[in-house]
Amino acid sequence: MKRFLTSIISMLLAIVMLFSMVACGDNGDGGNNDTPTVDAEGNTIIKIMFHVDKSSTEGQAYQKRISAFNAAYKDQKIKAQAVFKARSAGASGYETELQNNQLEGTLADIITFDAPNTAAYASSGLLYDISELISAEEQDKFYSLNKYNGKLYGLPIQESSAGFFYNKKIFRDAGIDVSGYTAENPWTMDQFKSVCARLKQFGVTAVDMRIDATKDETAPYLLYPFIYAAGGSFVSDDGFTASGYYNSSETAKGFQFIKDLITSGYTSYAIGATDFFTGKVGMYLSSGWTIPDLDNKYREYFSSRDDWGLLPYPKGVEAASATGSWSYAITNNHHSDKTATLELLKWMTSAESSEAITTATGMIPARKDVVKEYAPGSPEYTLLKQLELSGRERPVTVAYPTFSTTFNQVIFGLENGNVTDLLNSATNTLQDAIDKIKNRG
Amino acid sequence: MATTSIIIFALFLCAFGGFVAYDLVTAKRRKEVYRIKSSVTAYLMLLPAVALAFLFILLPILYSLGYAFTDYYLLQPDKINFVFLENFAGIFKEISAKGMLYNAIKNTVTFVIGVVPLQIGLALLLALFVNRPGIGSKIFKVCFFAPVVISLSITAFLWEQILAPGEGGLLNSMLSIFGVPPHDWLRDPATAMPCIIVLSAWQGCGYQMLIFLSGLSNIRKDLYEAASLDGANWWHQFWNVTWVGLRSTVVYILITVFIGACRILTQPMLMTGYMEHTVTLSYYMYNSGYSERLVGESSAVALLMTIFIGGITLIQRRLFREK
Repeated sequence: MKRFLTSIISMLLAIVMLFSMVACGDNGDGGNNDTPTVDAEGNTIIKIMFHVDKSSTEGQAYQKRISAFNAAYKDQKIKAQAVFKARSAGASGYETELQNNQLEGTLADIITFDAPNTAAYASSGLLYDISELISAEEQDKFYSLNKYNGKLYGLPIQESSAGFFYNKKIFRDAGIDVSGYTAENPWTMDQFKSVCARLKQFGVTAVDMRIDATKDETAPYLLYPFIYAAGGSFVSDDGFTASGYYNSSETAKGFQFIKDLITSGYTSYAIGATDFFTGKVGMYLSSGWTIPDLDNKYREYFSSRDDWGLLPYPKGVEAASATGSWSYAITNNHHSDKTATLELLKWMTSAESSEAITTATGMIPARKDVVKEYAPGSPEYTLLKQLELSGRERPVTVAYPTFSTTFNQVIFGLENGNVTDLLNSATNTLQDAIDKIKNRG
Repeated sequence: MATTSIIIFALFLCAFGGFVAYDLVTAKRRKEVYRIKSSVTAYLMLLPAVALAFLFILLPILYSLGYAFTDYYLLQPDKINFVFLENFAGIFKEISAKGMLYNAIKNTVTFVIGVVPLQIGLALLLALFVNRPGIGSKIFKVCFFAPVVISLSITAFLWEQILAPGEGGLLNSMLSIFGVPPHDWLRDPATAMPCIIVLSAWQGCGYQMLIFLSGLSNIRKDLYEAASLDGANWWHQFWNVTWVGLRSTVVYILITVFIGACRILTQPMLMTGYMEHTVTLSYYMYNSGYSERLVGESSAVALLMTIFIGGITLIQRRLFREK
């Protein structure tokens, strides 16, 4: 009898366990309600999901702004609730979380997302069209916007730009003067090559172009401006055609420029991660996040800012530089009333929030009206000016991950491969991926 | 989601109930003494394990099987269309065009052919080496097993430092002593996969060594004594006693190493990225399903891969079965 009772109890436990597991995605805030959740005190709860860890400097800055919002909107009974999902497994890990939430109907009201994903997210219906909710005047205050098919789907949290960090001591010893090359007056591709040649002649590796960084987004982010500078492109304006763009002769010229740097021995795939920081390389292509490293970590080689500087991207038929960072977007999460959500979005993208967050992260503010007093000629000034004057966003396409992969493969194969063959292969792969998504309708 | 969960749960209960009923009926037909209470108790005891196996093993397989015939796009989970064999047609088209999938198959086959004999051979050699009494053998056992405990991602990172290009790489700096110029081991298509094979065999052989040791301990010592009395040398003893005694262990290790090798993902992902010369089937599936978000296509590849691995495993079992 005892055994029988035990078995009955175990069966009941199994049923409860099975039910709790299979239905675990259905609890939470009732994802299918038309209105946001209201707590016991009558506050409308707006959930916002961030891609960073709560304890990080950036996470703390977000949390402070959320707390300030809650204090300011106490009387309106709107309460923001921050959810932090650190990208511990890379950007794809965060995206998986988003997709799971979408499947379960538990999407936050506002999410942060990587700007190149705008097209894919918008076309799939993940993001809410905010074109009519954000005034044209307000939109003009941002350096860039997350647009797809002419509609606005997101507002940037902050901006980024990149350039060539250079070792002033090496340049001085080699007798190279680059003081005339500024964001307002960038050097040409020929001048860039000429400086590389003189550095090589001096006996150092001229430039770390990061062509070895092809496992993630680093190489595409840093190198795509060279293709725009050469007059090339990747996809059509609507983002659905790669053939004739990615494999155009202008695009090939951009990649050929990088290949020439490799074959001339100005750069290589074998440059160590710290070679520039330890004085073995003349220039280093990187984003603003390298500034704190040079200021603090490598004092033995760069004791002050007199020892290093930042040069803009070289221009070809036009000037182009890297941009893009993470953005905010309102989601299509079945909460049809977006009034309170919009309030939070406006708060988080306000000049005050932009100032607070970029002060914490060291990145460039997304808004033009956030005035950062940088000394002319300083690295920060160069990055900001370059962003204003020549910032170009990465290609807007629903198959951006495939673009990123193929770009990496082209860079990887440049040393021994033929540029035209590499680009034709990349174009076919990208076009195939675009078509697959497009044909779904 | 809730409806799907309830349907799945109902199907599971029906299947389980059906099985119980079938057992009852067949027992009655065979006129066996059948104690319903005992039987029900047994089935209920079994239920939690069956439920978990259903939920975490069978259900994902069934889902994947179903997705293989759809155009499931990860960003549109509510818009899945049945496309019948379209994904499979795409797969064969890509293979015939020698696209990335073709490279993935080629690299996976190369990896399996390289790593299975190397890893098993190394494991057997190490097992024979440490299968001796003494403190030294215990130390060696720990040393040889240590790489198994280390996370594969850390191992991959460490080997990346060893194989780093230029003069800064550990291997290159060692070879430079003998005048060998630096080589980019992981970028060169001729050396990248062999490097990954060596690293994988090194990392995994410690585990198989332990299984071999367990197999060796089951071989009776008197067999060696008898062989020795008959004048058998080391090789004859190994071939006629040890190898015969390890037959079932070898079959088990062969099957598990083969299956593990077919699923290689971490090493190429962390060491080279998604490149033609190192992409593997699992990496292709991951990239297709997660990065490109084409779950339907990825599931179709997974289905074909499962059929292929299952087929080879059955052949292996048949070839090595006890006569």
